[in-house]
Amino acid sequence: MELAELTKRLCGLSGPSGFEEPVRAWIAEYLAPVADEVRTDPMGNMIALKRCGKPGAKLALLDAHMDEIGFIVTGAEKGYLSFGMLGGVDQRMLPAREVRVLTEPPLYGVIATMPPHVLTEEEKGRSIEPDKLFIDVGLSQEEAVRTVPPGTPVVYAGSCEMLGEGMLCGKALDDRACAAVIIKAFEKLSQEELDVDICCLVSTQEEVGHRGAKTAAWGLRPDVALVVDVTHGKTPDAPNVPCSCGKGPAICMGPNINSALSKELFALARDGKIPHQPKAEPGGNSGTNAEAIQISREGVVTGLIGLPLKYMHSPVEMVSLADMEAIVELLTAYVEGLEV
Amino acid sequence: MLDTMETLCCLVGVSGGEDEVRDYILERAMPCADEIRTDPMGNLMVFKKGAVTPGRRVMLCAHMDEVGLIVTDVTAEGYLRFAEAGGLDRRVLVGKQVYVGTDRVPGVVGSKAVHLTTAEQRKTLPPVSEMYIDIGAADREEAAKSVSVGDLVAFDDTVVRFGDGFIKAKAIDDRAGCATMLELLESDLPCDCWFAFTVQEEVGCRGAAIAARSVEPDVSLILETTTAADIPGVEGAKRVCQLGRGVVIPFMDRGTIYDRELYGLLGRLAEENGIPWQTKTMISGGTDGSAVQRSGAGVRVTALSVPVRNIHSPASVAKVSECEDQYKLARLFLEEMAK
Repeated sequence: MELAELTKRLCGLSGPSGFEEPVRAWIAEYLAPVADEVRTDPMGNMIALKRCGKPGAKLALLDAHMDEIGFIVTGAEKGYLSFGMLGGVDQRMLPAREVRVLTEPPLYGVIATMPPHVLTEEEKGRSIEPDKLFIDVGLSQEEAVRTVPPGTPVVYAGSCEMLGEGMLCGKALDDRACAAVIIKAFEKLSQEELDVDICCLVSTQEEVGHRGAKTAAWGLRPDVALVVDVTHGKTPDAPNVPCSCGKGPAICMGPNINSALSKELFALARDGKIPHQPKAEPGGNSGTNAEAIQISREGVVTGLIGLPLKYMHSPVEMVSLADMEAIVELLTAYVEGLEV
Repeated sequence: MLDTMETLCCLVGVSGGEDEVRDYILERAMPCADEIRTDPMGNLMVFKKGAVTPGRRVMLCAHMDEVGLIVTDVTAEGYLRFAEAGGLDRRVLVGKQVYVGTDRVPGVVGSKAVHLTTAEQRKTLPPVSEMYIDIGAADREEAAKSVSVGDLVAFDDTVVRFGDGFIKAKAIDDRAGCATMLELLESDLPCDCWFAFTVQEEVGCRGAAIAARSVEPDVSLILETTTAADIPGVEGAKRVCQLGRGVVIPFMDRGTIYDRELYGLLGRLAEENGIPWQTKTMISGGTDGSAVQRSGAGVRVTALSVPVRNIHSPASVAKVSECEDQYKLARLFLEEMAK
């Protein structure tokens, strides 16, 4: 499957943090023909392995997370569903928003918005607090209680689509776009003669604290890990963000990243004429799975590549397909260069 | 009926650019019409003979336009600045999919990531003048290939039927009324009737004023939609009306005190025929009735409105049975006019 098509398929799946099973199952089936082994673990991570067959080979780990932000139903009132958040939802995105309530089968819903006439002067021009918002599924209270129990997860409706000249726009591109990237890199590398074993880890529960990657890294004991996650792209209302969509992958540097590894990535990008941009990550925690993986067991040599993305955690996230392709190129170049 | 409404909701007709809607209605109305004309404002007026010619000239009226946006500038970075075309609550704009211009170039209303906002910014909304549409263009030059200043912008046009007989679409306000009129036009009528499909209701009932002057009706029934705030947290009269309680017969809104006798007539017709109805419990909103009523020497005006949740948003919600009841009651009204 081409990268764009793969991304569209992945974004169309429903998998908020803690409820990623449909995404895990889809990727496991997709990668089964090219992997030596596909398995999961108690946290629901999708782990695909390809071994080079050489004794004492090191394990190189590629990581991206499969979960997306979403909501969870907490109750029903007058037929409407009250909800809490799964991950960092932006409350400004919610009024008149279409959602998919993940019952079996899923239900369509709209987050009802209060018309201006019921707002006080002070409330106008302010976003609505989520505890005052409800999902309208067009059911009576009795039916809503019967069909949508508390604990039912909810995601934004839709998938992603091509936009303009080579952009992808939609929900869950954080981090399914990067999942698509590591899946493509794994597919490509699995056809090659390598000196290392490779693992494609599509991890769970990143949005609620890098939880899936923590146990997966422990279980896998990688020698080197490359984490691929989204990073903010510049917009008119965020002009000081350092990276821009369409200017190549962000090669990250900072305490959360092995500095020799990032230097190597810069060198590979320069030599391969792969567009790229530097990104400083000042803290010990880059806010990505690199945090959990780097300090797993006795420590892991960990790199972080950022895919610039605009409108993070909105249903209209946007990335450049060329940036994604450049990351596939960079990842494969790196792994091809690894020695026993 | 529902198919007609769905088709109409998918067409783009932001105030001042109703052409697509008018063209569609014109094509369907043409074979049924005894007289048909458009005026310089873009209103479409259709006359159809019925079983009898009543003493009073009757005009049904629904507006073709919908709320949307208009592009005011293309920035050097390729983003589009915009203003509202029609009354919009800016809280429904953030992060929405839109289509720009007659070529329907897709775009989204951008807003910086929540991670980059302050606590205060998350609780407030930027003014429309600071919002922008991202069509994925790298710069002004690339954007200019597909869009230009003055392009009208419409919301996402997917229609969804869901729940217990509900429909979600953009522009239910007022394609519901247009659908009722189109279906009536395609049926045998109890009496002669004019159908005015008007423009620019959302920017001040500007089309209807002209249409009424041209048709010179004695009586007019406005087929509209109205806001419903029947959601948890809103109690009593502030709910205005509720989906599932029937089509709305208003006695008054911010633009019109409706004809008392006709208000009573519609209520009686509904009750006699077992059609649920309600009235608005708050004096809010307005219709083309305000322009029609005070046109020329004056017109007796009444209205039938379908209750709509999230009105003026990309995800407005109506109850299908209430759209059908609007049609039934409008037909009963014409039967009464025939007497």
